[in-house]
Amino acid sequence: MPNNMKYSLLVFVDGVGRKTVRAVEEIGYVSSLLAESLYWIILGKKHKQAVRVATVFQEIMAIGVQAVPIVSVLNLAIGIMLAIQGIETLKTFGAESQVIIGIALSVTREFSPLIVSILVAGRSGSAIAARIGSMLESQEVDALRVIGINPVRYLVSPLLLAMLIAVPALTILGDFMGLLGGALYTSLQLNLGLAVYADRTLEVLAVDDIRQGLIKSAVFSAIIVLVGVSNGFQVKGGAEGVGKATTRSVVLAISCIVLADMVFTYFLNR
Amino acid sequence: MNNALPTGDVEHHVDYAAAPVIEIRDLITHYAERRVLNNICLNVYPGEIMIIMGGSGSGKSTLLRHMLGLHQPTSGSIRLLGKDITRLSEKEFYALRKEMGVAFQGGALFGSMTVGENVMLPLREHTRLDENTMQIMSRMKLEVVNLAGFENLMPSELSGGMVKRAALARAVVMDPKLLFFDEPSAGLDPVSAVELDELILRLRTAMRMTIVVVTHELESAFKIADRITVLDDGEILVTDTVANVRNSDNKRIQDLLHRRPRSEEVDADEYLHRLTR
Amino acid sequence: MELTVHNKGDYTIIALSGEVDLNYSPQAREQILKSLGDKCNVLIDLSAVAYIDSSGVASLVEGFQAAKSSQLEFGLVGVSNAALRVLQLARLDKVFPIHATVEECLGSDA
Repeated sequence: MPNNMKYSLLVFVDGVGRKTVRAVEEIGYVSSLLAESLYWIILGKKHKQAVRVATVFQEIMAIGVQAVPIVSVLNLAIGIMLAIQGIETLKTFGAESQVIIGIALSVTREFSPLIVSILVAGRSGSAIAARIGSMLESQEVDALRVIGINPVRYLVSPLLLAMLIAVPALTILGDFMGLLGGALYTSLQLNLGLAVYADRTLEVLAVDDIRQGLIKSAVFSAIIVLVGVSNGFQVKGGAEGVGKATTRSVVLAISCIVLADMVFTYFLNR
Repeated sequence: MNNALPTGDVEHHVDYAAAPVIEIRDLITHYAERRVLNNICLNVYPGEIMIIMGGSGSGKSTLLRHMLGLHQPTSGSIRLLGKDITRLSEKEFYALRKEMGVAFQGGALFGSMTVGENVMLPLREHTRLDENTMQIMSRMKLEVVNLAGFENLMPSELSGGMVKRAALARAVVMDPKLLFFDEPSAGLDPVSAVELDELILRLRTAMRMTIVVVTHELESAFKIADRITVLDDGEILVTDTVANVRNSDNKRIQDLLHRRPRSEEVDADEYLHRLTR
Repeated sequence: MELTVHNKGDYTIIALSGEVDLNYSPQAREQILKSLGDKCNVLIDLSAVAYIDSSGVASLVEGFQAAKSSQLEFGLVGVSNAALRVLQLARLDKVFPIHATVEECLGSDA
């Protein structure tokens, strides 16, 4: 019996060890991926291997512009929900009108960047993993390398650049729609004019709140790209492998976003 | 026996006296802890069509990937056009890549580009030629592979044979000295396969390329090869002319040639040990 | 690659020699288009060419097209076997007017 237990303990420790090594490896891999793609964005021109502007625009279309309707609708809904909950809670203190502050801060600092990033992770993060995975399977990545084209420069850098432009832009849109949702519901419930609501909002909102949201959204975009790309590059085993990597990258990206958000919120609010 | 050169009836387009274009010495490679290639030595001479044959798992694809510089070997050297690619800096290898063309098994055309853009990509990457010149060059290569007029299609709109021919056009658009072709006839109907073989022969004669073809198709191999290398279990069984490989008395080679399953002597002790260890 | 230009009768003769490859074909192309721009009939003398790659051939194709559209004569002279093989590969030997020598071309024209 004790022998058996020793054995299972050994297996357990072995498993933990391997997982830790793999996790460290993966973090190392992702950081070098980030460094390399930033390198090509900044210094590509020097090497006569500039990041292709046309691709960046294509990606901005796919990631950003096409996500405008859904981002608008969801953020509008979030704004309305915040107003409902806020008014309900503040009623107990008879301070319903304070809901404006709550909506303004939570939308710009928290909900808009979070909702937009989760949405983009689902829409585009999975597509990134699937695309890179199937390019790997069809040897297109090998073909790039054999022609002499650095795959990171060609595939990852344009994505990262596009994401860094599209997601913050969507976040600003999200800010606006979230505030609008809050305003619509609040002005109806509390008989405030929309103009009054807007005035109050601008009074409480500082540039810093919007900036906080934008910084977050930039970090989240990098997470989406890196998680998608690194999962794509690790695809093994055909179509099924591509499917697995896609799912994994969405789950992982959303988890990383939420955790990063918590860390950020803690530090940015000290 | 290993690396034998043809004697007597030497084909006129291969220069066996010249320095080899590809020179592999004592190549050993591992995948995880498993040894995949063992002591590979191989010379390929200017203008030669070298066929690398072997069953699946023989290591022939791995050998190709090493020749393309896609993997680092455990030990040994691989010289392409006189340069040891296991020791080249990225910049030096980049320059060497202009002299190499590769047609991958599934074509590996970029799905986001038209056929014409695919063929033109190496030119865009490596040259500063005028746009017009590049277009004419890529159209010429599409003519050569009988795909004239298909340049504006997307790869997904092509048949399997057409994809392989487009991939060949992309591989030779820079007029490389060295062409690698992975499984040209795999998945093709017999007529397309024969056409592709003819195309490879024409390219060699017109452009004096040295061509390495990895295949498991015997007919194609016997038709286009100057010499054949047979790989088995990560080792070279033989490198010799078509006739000599055909007439080899090596049992394993004959098995491969006649598509017989591996016929191994059963060592009773060894077998028992394998089951009970 | 070296490039010499001289006039004979109605023709500008551009003689290429050495290796006409990726590095030098832009130069040849420029000269060909320039001569055609000056409304000259052009003959390309390839007899001293050791090697011509497809960028060189592409420049010739472009020249031929430019000559046709401005109704000028364009021809190749002294095509070596090696160069002919490159032309044959893309079936271009049937497209270009090919003459054995400059004299032959000028003679047949007169």
